[in-house]
Amino acid sequence: MKRLTVVSLALVFCLAAVIPARAQQRDAISIVGSSTVYPFATVVAERFGKAGGFKTPKIESTGTGGGFKLFCAGVGVQHPDISNASRAIKASEFETCQKNGVTEIVEVKIGFDGIVLANSKKAPPLSFTSKDIFLALAKEVPDPKGGEALVANPYKTWKEVNPALPDVKIEVLGPPPTSGTRDAFLELAMERGALAFESLKKLSKEDAKKFQKVFASLREDGGWVDAGENDNLIVQKLVANPNAVGIFGFSFLDQNTDKIQGAKVDGHVPSFENIADGKYPLSRPLFFYVKKAHVGVIPGIQEYLAEFTSEKAWGKDGYLSEKGLIPLPEAERKKVAENVKNLVVLKEAK
Amino acid sequence: MPPFVLLAVLLAFSAAAYHLGRRRAFALAGAGGRAQRLHSRPNYHGALVALWCALPAILLFALWLAFESQVITRIVVEGLPEPQRSLPGDRLSLIVNDIRNVAGGRFEETAADPAVREAAATYRRLLGLSRQALAVVTLSLAAAMALLVRRRLRPTLRARNHVEGILTAMLVACSTIAVFTTVGIVLSVVYEAVLFFRIIPVGEFLFGLSWSPQMAIRADQVGASGAFGAVPVFLGTALISAIAMVVAVPIGLMSAIYLSEYAGKSFRAVAKPLIEILAGIPTVVYGFFAALTVAPFVRDAGGLLGLDVASESALAAGVVMGIMIIPFVCSLSDDFINAVPQSLRDGAYSLGATRSETVRRVVVPAALPGIMGGILLAVSRAIGETMIVVMAAGLAANLTVNPLKAVTTVTVQIVTLLIGDQEFDSPKTLAAFALGLVLFVVTLCLNVIALYIVRRYREQYE
Amino acid sequence: MSKTQGHPRAGKTPENSRTIAVVRASLPRRYRSERRFRLLGLAAVVLSLGFLALMFASLLANGVSAFRQTEIRLPVHFDPEVLHAEALAQADYGQLIRASLGRLFPDVEGRRERRELAALVSSAAVYDLRDLVMRDPGVIGQTREVWLKAGADIDMAVKGHFRRDLPEAERRVSDRQFAWLERLAAEGRLEKRFNRTFFTAGDSREPEQAGIWGAVSGSFFTLAVTLMLSFPIGVAAAVYLEEFARKGRITDLIEVNINNLAAVPSIVFGLLGLAVFLNFLHLPRSAPLVGGLVLTLMTLPTIIIAGRSALKSVPPSIREAALGVGASRMQTVLHHVLPLALPGMLTGTIIGMARALGESAPLLMIGMVAFIVEIPKGFTDPATVLPVQIYLWADSPERAFVERTSAAILVLLAFLVVMNAGAIWLRKRFERRW
Repeated sequence: MKRLTVVSLALVFCLAAVIPARAQQRDAISIVGSSTVYPFATVVAERFGKAGGFKTPKIESTGTGGGFKLFCAGVGVQHPDISNASRAIKASEFETCQKNGVTEIVEVKIGFDGIVLANSKKAPPLSFTSKDIFLALAKEVPDPKGGEALVANPYKTWKEVNPALPDVKIEVLGPPPTSGTRDAFLELAMERGALAFESLKKLSKEDAKKFQKVFASLREDGGWVDAGENDNLIVQKLVANPNAVGIFGFSFLDQNTDKIQGAKVDGHVPSFENIADGKYPLSRPLFFYVKKAHVGVIPGIQEYLAEFTSEKAWGKDGYLSEKGLIPLPEAERKKVAENVKNLVVLKEAK
Repeated sequence: MPPFVLLAVLLAFSAAAYHLGRRRAFALAGAGGRAQRLHSRPNYHGALVALWCALPAILLFALWLAFESQVITRIVVEGLPEPQRSLPGDRLSLIVNDIRNVAGGRFEETAADPAVREAAATYRRLLGLSRQALAVVTLSLAAAMALLVRRRLRPTLRARNHVEGILTAMLVACSTIAVFTTVGIVLSVVYEAVLFFRIIPVGEFLFGLSWSPQMAIRADQVGASGAFGAVPVFLGTALISAIAMVVAVPIGLMSAIYLSEYAGKSFRAVAKPLIEILAGIPTVVYGFFAALTVAPFVRDAGGLLGLDVASESALAAGVVMGIMIIPFVCSLSDDFINAVPQSLRDGAYSLGATRSETVRRVVVPAALPGIMGGILLAVSRAIGETMIVVMAAGLAANLTVNPLKAVTTVTVQIVTLLIGDQEFDSPKTLAAFALGLVLFVVTLCLNVIALYIVRRYREQYE
Repeated sequence: MSKTQGHPRAGKTPENSRTIAVVRASLPRRYRSERRFRLLGLAAVVLSLGFLALMFASLLANGVSAFRQTEIRLPVHFDPEVLHAEALAQADYGQLIRASLGRLFPDVEGRRERRELAALVSSAAVYDLRDLVMRDPGVIGQTREVWLKAGADIDMAVKGHFRRDLPEAERRVSDRQFAWLERLAAEGRLEKRFNRTFFTAGDSREPEQAGIWGAVSGSFFTLAVTLMLSFPIGVAAAVYLEEFARKGRITDLIEVNINNLAAVPSIVFGLLGLAVFLNFLHLPRSAPLVGGLVLTLMTLPTIIIAGRSALKSVPPSIREAALGVGASRMQTVLHHVLPLALPGMLTGTIIGMARALGESAPLLMIGMVAFIVEIPKGFTDPATVLPVQIYLWADSPERAFVERTSAAILVLLAFLVVMNAGAIWLRKRFERRW
């Protein structure tokens, strides 16, 4: 009996080991990547699928980094065709791609996303300068009593930062360190704010690394709260807590204008027009990347690209703008569309 | 013949084999149903034939299907023209995908390449051939095995022992799956965890008092104090789980006692499944409830009492998690309380004990090992729960046992570290695996201790 | 003590009467404590049910409106100029709708106003029109009254989610649109009708076009795999460990293992699934098959633990009686112990399946958190499941997804109730037989 047991066990595991032989088969585009691009990519994918001819692409929201990891794993059916990204591909990721045989990548810049600071409608509207933002959120700030030295952030309320601001506790709900939105916020708002100080400006020229550490270190004493990736939840937390300020993508402000209001940054309100013409300072480009080797093999990739880069999708009055995507300037749109049509390959990452 | 139909036919064969074996056994026993001449009852002879008929054939069936597409693909690829045939593996897989899509009748018009179309035709032909062969081979194997075993039936054959042996083997195989799962988890976590510990020393990770996974990972990114001390994270997990248990254990246990000892039959029949529904509400819903209803309430209530309560307090997350866990405690405790023999209760009543005294002094102690098991299960659920704490507890790793402060838990950290927009091979991501591994080890230790305690309790009441 | 337990007749001794007096005196206190205990128990049950009711109430309040969708009745002229017989699928159906709206409101002029007017009708309505024409090409050239879905913002406004007293810039529906809606309503062209799409469609980025059927099918296939694997394996493992395995180091190891697996956070199972099923076995991403396998591994410990407890609670006398009349151990277990233990095992399975039904974290790692429009038709089609759909909708910016999230949760709970009811019925049947 014991022998029988052993034999049958062995058989079961042999069986388990052979199953991998089943190779995969795919007849729809597979897209991975950033959760920021996800809402726009899905709209295009859905229209593309409804138009008939091809199956609707499958889109996973994995985060930009997770998306590149999957995308750069290799060429072949089991790997995705397109990776969405809320930042340009990094040199290290580009190298990984090259190493794994993904040599030809087409970069498509699709538009801008505004990062807004907002609070509840129940509270008075706010207006920040990027200097205020830096002073309120940095871990170390230049000594308010004067001098070059950096001291631990002493500000507790907005009023202490800037007398024009209300006298409430600083409480900012923002994206966690793993988020691409956070990186963008640091570079766009915090760096700008830090450069408003002469001493830090000098530092940036002398010791770029140290300067980066200054503007990219957010306070950890409760003024800044890492609030997770769910932007809708942040919006609702703002409604529940009128004293808090939240940081998230423009589309969430756009959809909730009756509950929350965007704060002015350096005098400009976060509106569609202001972001589009570059007046509002906190905006970043969005991308997606296509594996050229898959074009023509996985059915529908070219058509999907054509749909995405058509005027009715990403144009000034296109359906993506309805969803909150800020379009590229017209000349740039034309250029990108042309590149996409000819599948111009990315030479190197910036 | 599609595989599913074939499988059904195979099972029908097996059923027929059962009858064949059984009839044969009756025939062996001789006229007048003198079954006592046989070592085993005719049913077992039937079952033996049926098992031998089905098992080898199913094995063959599975192996065939597993290798089929590989073999056919190989043949099809051999038939491709030269430039395509010698492509590297990944490129080839794209072409093979194309061929299969065309063979499956999808996008025939898009495949302009005649070679692909030809290959697709070959593929389709071979697949059809293979399926026919499969049907013929498996069915004849099944029939042959059935006839062979049937011929070997003897009155002295220990058919029952054979059948039971096969069944036992299956049971053993099933019970080892848990072990293999563990091995799998450890293997899939250990590699990354080791990579992490190469960057961050184990001691610093285990005993460090500060958690702030924001160190500079990319060359062009700067974080704050990059500290990977896991103590605050584990303390936070313990705090939230403890709050959850403080809510869930009394309510769950009292509910179970009321339902099993006091409630009428119809009330119990309604209430128990209703409470079980609490366990099935998706945790996302609890998360919203905790973040948007309970947390502001706790903050405002604390404000009225003059306490400084964080917006994302451990209390809010813990209470909501406790609500979610009630059914685990309740349902399992209820089963064990029911399993306490009525004679114990009758004994207590006859001594003049009231119902509550019986419950407290007799029933609960007798059911304690089981109840402890249920509570342990609930604790593990609390430790492993993710979505509630992701939404309500936040990410601030404070080293505190004050339930009014914000804390973070292991699962929250794992989730945020794994699904962010960062690069995938950074220590940030690897830290998630290290956390997972340590969590695994910690719960393992807890379970060993729990097993030991439960054993000691059980000895007292058996 | 032993003296007080003597024969009642012996109760005349002074010592005994003192005892009785003490007992009598303590009775009110004991009864009070009895009542307290009982009330406490009842309060616990009521509290648990209260939480349930609270959850349901808030979900119903939020979600019930999603079962109805605002629709607008338009006289659509199926213009043969627009609809060419050979290219019906590609025709510009939006033009038909715009023309029809233009006839209803002839005084609307200017680009901005026209855009607002067109926004009354869902951008997805063109697909409904297309389907109508494809089904019945005879309508070409005629004018028909057609109910078309209103846009998501319009739907929200009609349901009262946008307050009109806010400044115009702060709501997504303009004063003009409100005026048009009032006119449409007065003409009987505006109605809230049963939202069939919600139950029959797959996911969509347009709230009015989004449905749960894709997620429900995905959940069905996933849970089917889970149930088919985890119930037999779980029962078999429980039976072996409880009834056959010799108590020793190895069984201890397995037992600790299983308890431990029940405590492993579900996302770790996702990591395992990613490593084993996707990277090693090369099973397809986003497939219910893989989701089912991962959930099987996750629910197995729960089922095994509950199954073992159920087996433990079968009195040993049953086993002894069966063994005594000459049954083998396998016969004892299969014929006598297992049927008695099955109701308890079913309870465990239901809890495990309920957990699997509501689980989303491990599926994140194996690609099931994805935007999938097509309804899955098999175990290897890309699919998502109900809780993931809920999670995705909860994270969508569009306001109309809020009520749809709640509605989807209600549907999930309805399934749960059905599952539980089925289980109770099963439990009852088994209990009657034995």
